[in-house]
Amino acid sequence: MLTRRDFVLGSGALAVAVSLPLRTEASVGQAAAQPSVTAYLEVAPDGRVTLHSPTTEMGQGTHTGHAVIIADELGVDLDRVSVVTAEPSDPFRRNGQMGSGGSWGVRYWYQPLRKATAQAREVLVAAAAAQWGVPASECVLERGEVVHAASRRSTGIGALAAAAAALPLPGDPPLRPKSQLRYTGRKVPRVDLPAKVRGEPVFASDIERPGMVYACARLAPVFGADLEGFDRQSATAVPGVLDVVAVPGGAAVVATSSWAALKGAEALRIRFKPTPNDRLDSATISRQMRAGLEATAQPIKAREDGDWAAASAGAKRVVEADYEVPYLSHSPMEPWNCTVEFDAEGTVHIWAPVQTQDRNRNAAAAAAGVPPEKVRLHTTLLGGGFGRRLGSDGIAAAVVTARTVKRPVKFFWTREEEFTQGWYRPAQVARLKATLDAEGRVTGLHVRTAGPALSASFSPQGLPVGQLDGSSVQTIRESRYRPAAFHVEWVRVDQPVTMAPWRSVGATQNGYFLECFIDEVARAAGRDACQLRRELLAHDARALKVIDTVAKAAGWGEPLPKGHARGMAFVESYGSLCAEVAEVSLREGRPVVHRVVCALDCGSVVLPDGVRAQVEGGIVQGLSAAMGEAVTIVAGGARERNFDAYPLLRITESPERIETIIIESGEVMGGVGEPPLPPIAPAVVNALVALTGRPIRELPLSRHRFI
Amino acid sequence: MKITFKVNGDTRSLEADPEMPLLWALRDVLGLKGAKYGCGIGACGACTVHVNGKAMRSCVVPIKAVAGDEVRTIEGLGGTHPVQQAWLEEQVPQCGYCQSGQIMQAVALLETTPRPTAGQIREGMEGVLCRCGTYPRIEAAVRRASDALAPKAGD
Repeated sequence: MLTRRDFVLGSGALAVAVSLPLRTEASVGQAAAQPSVTAYLEVAPDGRVTLHSPTTEMGQGTHTGHAVIIADELGVDLDRVSVVTAEPSDPFRRNGQMGSGGSWGVRYWYQPLRKATAQAREVLVAAAAAQWGVPASECVLERGEVVHAASRRSTGIGALAAAAAALPLPGDPPLRPKSQLRYTGRKVPRVDLPAKVRGEPVFASDIERPGMVYACARLAPVFGADLEGFDRQSATAVPGVLDVVAVPGGAAVVATSSWAALKGAEALRIRFKPTPNDRLDSATISRQMRAGLEATAQPIKAREDGDWAAASAGAKRVVEADYEVPYLSHSPMEPWNCTVEFDAEGTVHIWAPVQTQDRNRNAAAAAAGVPPEKVRLHTTLLGGGFGRRLGSDGIAAAVVTARTVKRPVKFFWTREEEFTQGWYRPAQVARLKATLDAEGRVTGLHVRTAGPALSASFSPQGLPVGQLDGSSVQTIRESRYRPAAFHVEWVRVDQPVTMAPWRSVGATQNGYFLECFIDEVARAAGRDACQLRRELLAHDARALKVIDTVAKAAGWGEPLPKGHARGMAFVESYGSLCAEVAEVSLREGRPVVHRVVCALDCGSVVLPDGVRAQVEGGIVQGLSAAMGEAVTIVAGGARERNFDAYPLLRITESPERIETIIIESGEVMGGVGEPPLPPIAPAVVNALVALTGRPIRELPLSRHRFI
Repeated sequence: MKITFKVNGDTRSLEADPEMPLLWALRDVLGLKGAKYGCGIGACGACTVHVNGKAMRSCVVPIKAVAGDEVRTIEGLGGTHPVQQAWLEEQVPQCGYCQSGQIMQAVALLETTPRPTAGQIREGMEGVLCRCGTYPRIEAAVRRASDALAPKAGD
């Protein structure tokens, strides 16, 4: 369906709006698709093109990906295209919501943006042709100009924009052939990097408004605790502190500078009401999750391929192992903050680093007591997201503070609040079983995971009891491995700890469970781990190519220096297949990752260097989690409150070498922001097990002693 | 109490709490937003600036401690510093939040160690965290900047 919107941004600007037909969402645990998605292009009189992008730029490079798509399809130089994040409205929504996640940024918007841009190109060409009285078919748009070669005439698109805006849009414009695409598939510089290397104020925390004050949050340290009261004087005694405001979750200390607000928040004597969670700790959570692995628990079935009972009965040997992973913090480097200003007309302006624009705008509107249309949400560049900015838990307190003090407010959390306010990657346990025949072939796999349901915590609508939490079985349920029997099930173990998707979501823990177990099975059967994977994927040429590519590049099976070992893992997520081989040794009891080879089949590629950057970043972040990350629950809250206790990987422990091989299989375009992350933990663990001979069934690795 | 120090060559006098960390003086009082708040305990390095040429975590340095000193921030590099150029050529940043700190740390490293080994790059850059995982490109960019600033004989 095609619509034309009365959406002119400045005089002479051309605006194009497209709607897409209904698209089915096949991803795990998602609701049915909503119909309409549209993106806006704007051509200014000076010929510059602005894309109002539906995606949030948090470092993953989608704004550049979109700029490349626009520049290529329109026929303009890349440096003439700029990208801003749109404000929420229908054209920018996917499944009824505007937001970025699930590695959808390029793969979802690639075709819609090409089509919208092709429509703009067609009317610009038609406008020039009409002016010159020549057939449009004799004109081309190249490098920002419409050219009629026969009469040697040309006009910049900026001068044509007003006339073009009056023309009807073609319904099905032709897309340029690949031979005409100048940037797609090539190395192009990221559009957002020059400002970032100059240290320019591009983040929400850099926003300043006239008359602005600073508000530092002091929030409940226990999950689900409500404010009981505070001693206002304890904070206002600090010079520079203006006020203390009760907000959802605690209090905000308002001051004339960030420093005064921080000191005031530290000095504030605040009390929270008792909760049933006050004694909750990680040992209890772990015990409850592990009880979910026993026969008495009630699992929900997720996959029932073949006859597991028959596989068990006929097995020559059964291999079994239990695994556990902790809660993880997203820890974006920019702690939560936003700037809120009520204007004279009662409109609420918010500058915020959010991944979900509708969710946050609605939360802000509810807190302000205004309809969502009275909230103008200006999404800045994000100082990291990784899933933590998918929520809307930080916005209401900021709006309440600004409404109360009647001044523009920069509201911020300390790093400590960023840690204690939750929304972690879920803790989870798993029990895996494999049946082997006399030849050491895998005849059956049985996987049960148990733990809290991500969607019950994160989805506004929750998760009804008895329904499957998709992320709890993500990537195992869809695994391409094909033993004769493959059963997957999940046991729900609710906890009060809030959770949110964490880069690659359920694939983070499930990739570790399954891929480490495959290695354990290989060892038990005396088989090579790569060969065992090939056997389980024998029916699947695409997967085999990924495995074979990484094995060949990594020199799988070839001799290594003494004290070194390799480990392999293969995880599919977000539409892409990813295999990694890590070469590891031990130095003073710490794992050292010498080399990681990654083979990624993401179908096709818009920004090759962007894909490489995401592979490198995913591997480093995944290794960080595997090496030392864990949120420990003590007395109903997080024990780790800053980077001294929650060690993010530093450059000294980053892999010495990362090699990326991109496989363009031509299959449906997959995501790249998340798929490279899940294989690294099992690849490194498998290498360590190969080195030491001892299984590693708990993360992080810092809990294990290596000699 | 008035505290005076130089910032990127200009003399600045601040009427502020002498205990205020340099980070907040730069950001809130002087309007220089390049240095970032990340942890407040000197553990992440996003706030890294130079004090008398040495890389410091400005979130834990009170302004009374820099009275009379020379402070340099990323804004003082001018935008075309060889380290900034190398950062662009290697396409280092992702989210970019830590990168002012990374760049200032790298400039300080190369000023004291113009031709660092791989190990010296890693040790020199260890104090600045990056959650996006840009470390491989940071290493490459420091090497590239080193080549530009201190060419080997025959280069």
